[in-house]
This record gives sequence, C-alpha cells and structure tokens, in this order.
Amino acid sequence: MSEVSEEERKKILESSPIGTWVLMITVGISMVIGWMFLYYGVFLPRGMIN
Amino acid sequence: MNDMTERKLALSHMWVAFIAFILACFMGEYQVLERSGLIEALDSPTVYFASVSTHGVLMAYVLTTFFIMGFGYYTASTSLKTPVWNKNLAWAGFWLALAGVVIAAVPLLLGLASVLYTFYPPVQAHYAFYVGATLLIVGSWVWCGIMIMMFLQWKEQNPGEIVPLVMFATTMNAMLWLWTSAGVALESLFLILPWAFGWVDTIDVGLARTLFAWTLHPIVYFWLIPAYTAFYSFVPKHAGSYLFSDELARAAFIVLVVFSLPIGFHHLYMDPEQASGWKLLHSVGTFIVSIPTFITGFTVIASLEVAGRLRGGKGLFGWIGTLPWTNTMVLSVILSLLMLIFGGWGGLVNASYAMNAMIHNTAWVPGHFHLIFAGTTVIMYFSIAYYLWPILTKKPIYSNNLALVQLWTWFIGMSIMTTPWHVLGLLGQPRRISSVVYNNLMTLSWEPYELLMIMGGLVLVGSACLFIYLIFKTQFGATTEVYEAEVEYAESYHEVKDLPEYLNDIKLWNKVIAVLMFISFGIPILQFFFLDTYDSSAWGY
Repeated sequence: MSEVSEEERKKILESSPIGTWVLMITVGISMVIGWMFLYYGVFLPRGMIN
Repeated sequence: MNDMTERKLALSHMWVAFIAFILACFMGEYQVLERSGLIEALDSPTVYFASVSTHGVLMAYVLTTFFIMGFGYYTASTSLKTPVWNKNLAWAGFWLALAGVVIAAVPLLLGLASVLYTFYPPVQAHYAFYVGATLLIVGSWVWCGIMIMMFLQWKEQNPGEIVPLVMFATTMNAMLWLWTSAGVALESLFLILPWAFGWVDTIDVGLARTLFAWTLHPIVYFWLIPAYTAFYSFVPKHAGSYLFSDELARAAFIVLVVFSLPIGFHHLYMDPEQASGWKLLHSVGTFIVSIPTFITGFTVIASLEVAGRLRGGKGLFGWIGTLPWTNTMVLSVILSLLMLIFGGWGGLVNASYAMNAMIHNTAWVPGHFHLIFAGTTVIMYFSIAYYLWPILTKKPIYSNNLALVQLWTWFIGMSIMTTPWHVLGLLGQPRRISSVVYNNLMTLSWEPYELLMIMGGLVLVGSACLFIYLIFKTQFGATTEVYEAEVEYAESYHEVKDLPEYLNDIKLWNKVIAVLMFISFGIPILQFFFLDTYDSSAWGY
C-alpha cells in the first residue's frame, strides 16, 4: 500500500468518484440490454401459449 | 460499559442461526442429488418434500430471524452506547422463538408439514407447524419492540442529535418486519389455524394467498437490510475510507422499506383472484425498489473507490486492485455486489408482468432467490460473523486466510449452482418437483445442468462446514491470546451536522407505509368480503 500526500488525499476526498460512475452506468446499461435480449430474443419468439 | 449480556445475547442468537444454516446446507445438497436421479437409493418424493420444507424453514426463517435479532441487539447497544432495553424481555423473546422452532421442527421432520415452507392453502400442514411458526414470529416481535423502544428513548434523551446510521437502519428494519409479518399473522390467525385445528372445513384460498403475498416480498428485504447495514456501516472503515454519504444511505433505507411493502402481487401474476390493474400497480412498485439498490451500489462502490485511491490506486479502475482484498469484510462486499448485479437483473425479469409468464414456477425462481438470499445476503452474514466473533468472544479469529478461502468458495459454489438453475428455468424445468427422470429428450437436455448444480452444492457444503469450523475454533479454540476491540462504525466523509427530521425518524415513514398499504392492498383484500363465493365465505366461516 502506497501512502498518498496530504494534498493528494484532499484531492481524492473532494473529487467525484468517476470510476464508480462508469461502473454503475455500465452495469445499468448491461442490465437493460440483458433484459431486452431476454424479452425480444427469448420471450417474444416463443409466441402464444397453446 | 459492561456488555457481557449483550455479547451473550448476540452469540446465543447467532449460534442458533448458524446451526440451522449448516443443517439446511446438507439438506440442500441431498435435494439436488435426489432430484437428479443419479443415486437410486435416495429416490423418495416424501423425504424430498419434507427436506425442501425443512431446508426452507431453517434458512429463510430460522437463520435470518435469529441472525437479525442477535446482530440488532449488539449493534443497537454499541452504536447508542447503552445497554439493551429490558434484557429479560430480550431473553424471553429468544426462548419463545426457539421454542417455536422446536415445535415446528417436529411435524417438519415427520413429513407432516411438507408445504414447502409457504403458507399457501389449499396445501395444509399439521397445526403444530403453524403454532411453531407463530411463536417464532411473536419472538421476533419482541425484538422489534425492543429496537423501537431503544430508538425512541435515545431520541428523547438526546434531543436534536442524529441517530447513528446503523441504529436508524436497524429500527427501520424492525418497523419493516412488523408491517411485513402482519400479513401472514392475519392469515394464520383468522384462516389457517382455525382450518388446521379442524374448527372450520373450508378456507378462502384467494384471500389467504393475497395475505401471504403481503408478507412474501418484503420479508426478503428484512433479510437483506443487515447486509446493507454492513455495506454502509462496516465496509468503508475496513477498506480504510469513509462512507461516501450518510444522507444517501438513509434515503436508500427509507425507499427500500417504504416501497418493499406494497408490491407483493408480483408473486400472484398468474393467480386469478386479483385483477390485472392491481398487479400492474405492484409491478411498477417492484421496479421502484431497484432505485435504492442502485443508490446502495453507488454509495458503497464510491466509498471503496476513495479507499483504493487513498491506497495509491490510479486511473479509472486502478483503485480496484489496491483495495485490501485480504480483509474479509471488503472481499465479501465485492463478491456480494457481484451476485447482487446478476440476482437483481433476474429480479427485474421476475417483476416484468408479461415476461414473468416465461419463468413463473420454473427452476429460474429458486435460482434467483438463492443468488440474492444465499449469495448476496448470506455472504455478508459470514463477514459480519468474522468481524464480530473476535469482539464477542474476546479471542482472535482462528484463521483469516481460511476465512478468505471460505468466502471465495461460497461465491464460486453459488455461481456454479445458480447459473444452471436459471438456465433450467428457461429450458422449462418446473420448480418444486422431486424428480426429473422422465427419459424424454427435453428432460435429458437438463442432465448436464443438474450435474453442475450437484458440484456447486458440494462446494457450498464444504464452504459452510469451513465457516462453522472457523467460528467454533475462534470461540472454543485453545488459544490464550486475548482480543480486545470494540465495534467501529464508518464515519461519513462529509460530517453530518444537521439532518431533516424525515431522515432521522421513523414516524413519518410509518404513516406513509400505512397509506401505501391501504392503496395497494385495501380493495384487493376487502373485495373478498363482498364477492359471492361458492361453498365458502370470506375468512372461511
């Protein structure tokens, strides 16, 4: 574990968590795509219940 | 503060929880083996359904309720820095709940309560099962009362002060459980018990299922909230960081509790007794619950990102590698969130009104709830235990390395077991069946997935045994080393000096829940008193 300087520490604590934003947006978009795949790719092609 | 009683209370509750857990793990592995038909000697639908019912009761009702009570008593006492209110009452609640478990266990093990741990008539269990379950619930209500009393007393003694986040979450969970359990309590008291005792001949199945749906979904959040509490209150500290936002955490708990209650009809999409409009309303509410889950994900990951950067992590994702992966709390939250992503996605499929028809009553459903409950939730129960056991027993953890192995194997085993379970659901395998050996092409295509599930289950049983071994050795091992530490709760980076009362109290949210429950369940329940029924009347009388 490398120590950060006091200045860096302050900068980290005050900056926006950009990695988290990217991860959350990626997860959100992946969930929507996965949902749409299941809806349009699996559910609808199965058609009506006979 | 001498907290010997609080430590005893916590340990007693958690031991009951984890003994139930290990017994249920072996039953789970037996079930997947029996269902596969690989070992002919195991083939017995009677034993299978008795085992499924006992496994479900032990995991979903005993492990959770006792763990939550023990965890709540200790965190309430340590966060408020005050003894548990009315310790005799707390012990009375413990013994009452334990007596309930023992009473329910008898018909379960005798195969007289093979109702798949649900309260869905017309399937009926021996009355002792319902009496036992009722005592367990009443015991848990004692815990709820004590948590709420401690919350209110602290607020009265500390006017204008901010209730610690961990206590706010615990009290919200106690309130949630009182609301949640009211549905099944009404069902038991007015419908099932008179029917099970033979006092009435008929039962209103539609009304009973509606009341159970009231309980069935928020109960999952009752189990999940301690995991979220650990996310917010323990994880940032263990990662060497701060909680990203105390206010966001409180908002997440509030939305989670308020919107987890009026949404149970997504369990009844295929039932005829409720109209489509009500189901659609509950469907929308179910999607709203994903909001606090995303808030939680964001807040916890942001706290981890700050920790990773403070440890020298650079770039967009360089902070992930610098996190203290050898800390059990940090490792478990990462694994828990991974399982939450996939389990949460499956939950959105379940909640989708139309698409639910595709996976309704298929193997997808147990796959989903194992991933969310046994995965996301229980892995946090483990790490909470690893953190609290040394504090409660005043002995160091037996082996941190073995604890890490245990967490990894639980994650790997759960992934191996639940992925094929989901696939089997999409391939059309029904849930709640004791055998899949029908020798036709469709069922033959299920076999490789069944084998994978057996292997995943074996990994899980091994992991569960290792967990029990570790906490046993920690508490009863021969070490003479004394471990002295107190529970430490994460601090918010932005110091919280002033909070609006709605983020610091439960009263407003109790009223909001009452209104929402009336809107979403009022007419759906009242209709049973005005509908013409044949050979039965509302409440079965």
